[in-house]
Order: sequence, then structure tokens, then C-alpha cells
Amino acid sequence: MSGRRTVYEIYWEILVYCKTPRSFTAIINRCDLNSKLGQEYLEFLVAREYLTIIRDNEKTRYGSTPKAAEYVALFSSLYQKLFDAAPGFRL
Amino acid sequence: MINLEPQALIQFRTEIRYFFIICCLNIVFAALMTAAGVIYLIAAVVGLPTGLNTSLVRIFIGAVALVCFGLGIQWLLATLRIFHGVQSVRDRLASEFTAIQNDRITCLIVQQLAHYRDNRLTIAKMIRVCTFGGVCFLGLGIGTSLEFFSLSSGSIAFTLNNLLVIPAMLLSLGIGLASLLSSYYFSRFAHVWDRRLHEIDESECALKKTLGLEDP
Repeated sequence: MSGRRTVYEIYWEILVYCKTPRSFTAIINRCDLNSKLGQEYLEFLVAREYLTIIRDNEKTRYGSTPKAAEYVALFSSLYQKLFDAAPGFRL
Repeated sequence: MINLEPQALIQFRTEIRYFFIICCLNIVFAALMTAAGVIYLIAAVVGLPTGLNTSLVRIFIGAVALVCFGLGIQWLLATLRIFHGVQSVRDRLASEFTAIQNDRITCLIVQQLAHYRDNRLTIAKMIRVCTFGGVCFLGLGIGTSLEFFSLSSGSIAFTLNNLLVIPAMLLSLGIGLASLLSSYYFSRFAHVWDRRLHEIDESECALKKTLGLEDP
């Protein structure tokens, strides 16, 4: 996904994408991030234990932890709540 | 699996569908506005040497037509930019509707919000262009029905030729009204989406808290 997003939207996108473990390159491509910014986000999420590093032979992949589910669920509920109400004009 | 509250899903789909329809109508009317601007411009230039009073009116109509042409081009380009993003969300929503998942819907909402943030200024510009273009075309609709116009210190005299210019006048008035209607709907949508962005800003506190980023 591209476009102007908030940092929380990017965290959410990374965590959802990493439900299946992914490589660093796959994550930055999918989330349309440059490598420096991608590294910062991943380090933050790993430090907070929302992501775990999975080392398989020489490959390093990132996977979401059960703790990430709480953030993903809260994020989804907040964003979907935006559309609970009609826009206030007749369509 | 549909985890989304039915009302939210229905609302999102309805808004995207209507926004898409408005964008389509905008493209059609922007193209019409551009074409009509050229036609009026040519008509004004060709009809120039027909007398002083008439020439002044025609110069005025020609100038307005030139403005309408420019606005039409701007309107078209702005709409196309917005159209592509909305079309992408609409197509994904339509193609995945039978097996849509909670995360996927949230993803489309985030995508739409990102698209809106990117094009917020363009939409604001389009609202102004639509309104101004609509007023210009209303003016053209009235102006093209003038057969004779005279302005002196104590009087204004004009005659209208209804039979010959009714089709052109109706076209101009139609485009003018469509422009004003587009402007109205775009401004309403922009207002709603702005409010949602504001709500997101407010809800970021909860996300911050969950991530452990609370200010001490």
C-alpha cells in the first residue's frame, strides 16, 4: 500500500502482513517503505515484542506475535467504527 | 468470513460507490465543459465582426469560454487523479466481497484514507474549479441567448434570441448546474472525510497506549 499513512497505519500493515513470517525485503516492498524507515519500524515492533525474528538457516524473517493481535484488533475496530454512522447527507 | 459490522461495511461500500459515480459524472462533464469552451470560443471569434455592441458581448463570451476551457482541462485532470484511487478501492471491494475478511476491509479503509490525504488539496481545488466553472457556464448560457446588448449611462437594452440558441443555452445551463452539483457533493464528501481524519487523530491515543508510547 502506498500513499500518505500515519505511523500507526504502517505498524498495523506490517503486523497484519507478518501473520505469515516475511523477509525484510518483502515487508518494505509490500508496505512501500525505504529500507532505513523499514528497519526503524521493524526494530520498534521487535523491541515491543509485536514481532519476532525467525532465523531459518541463513534467512531472517519476521513474524507477528500473539501480542500483536491486541493492537491489530483495536486498530481494526477503531477504523471500522468510522463507518458506523452515515455521512450526514443524502446519497 | 465477514467480521465487519454490517452497517460499517454497507456504509463504506455505498460511499465508495457514490464517490465513484460522482467521479465518473465529473469526467463526463469536465470533458463536455472543455469541448463546449472550445465551441463557444470559436463561435465568439468567428462572429466578431458583426457590429460594435455585438462584438463587445462576443468578446466577453469568448473570454468566458476561454476561462471555461482552462477550467475544464483542470477539472478533468484533477478528477482523473482522484478517479484512479477510488476505482482501485472500488474494484478490490467488488472483487473480494464474497470472501472479504476483517483485515482486508480495514486495509481498504486505510487505503482510501491514504488516498484522501494525498488528494485533499486536489479535491479542495476541484471544488473551487467546479463552482467557478458552473458559474461561468451559467453566464455563458445566458450570454449566448443575447442577440443585442446595449449599455449607456441611463439605460440597458438587450434582446434575446431564444429559438436559435435554446439548445446551446440548455447545454451550458446543464453543464453549469452539473458543475455546481458536483461541487456540492465533493464538498460534502470532503467534509465527512475530514471529520474522519480528525477522529483518527483522536483515536491515536488509544493506539499509542496499546503500543506503550504514552507520554509520561
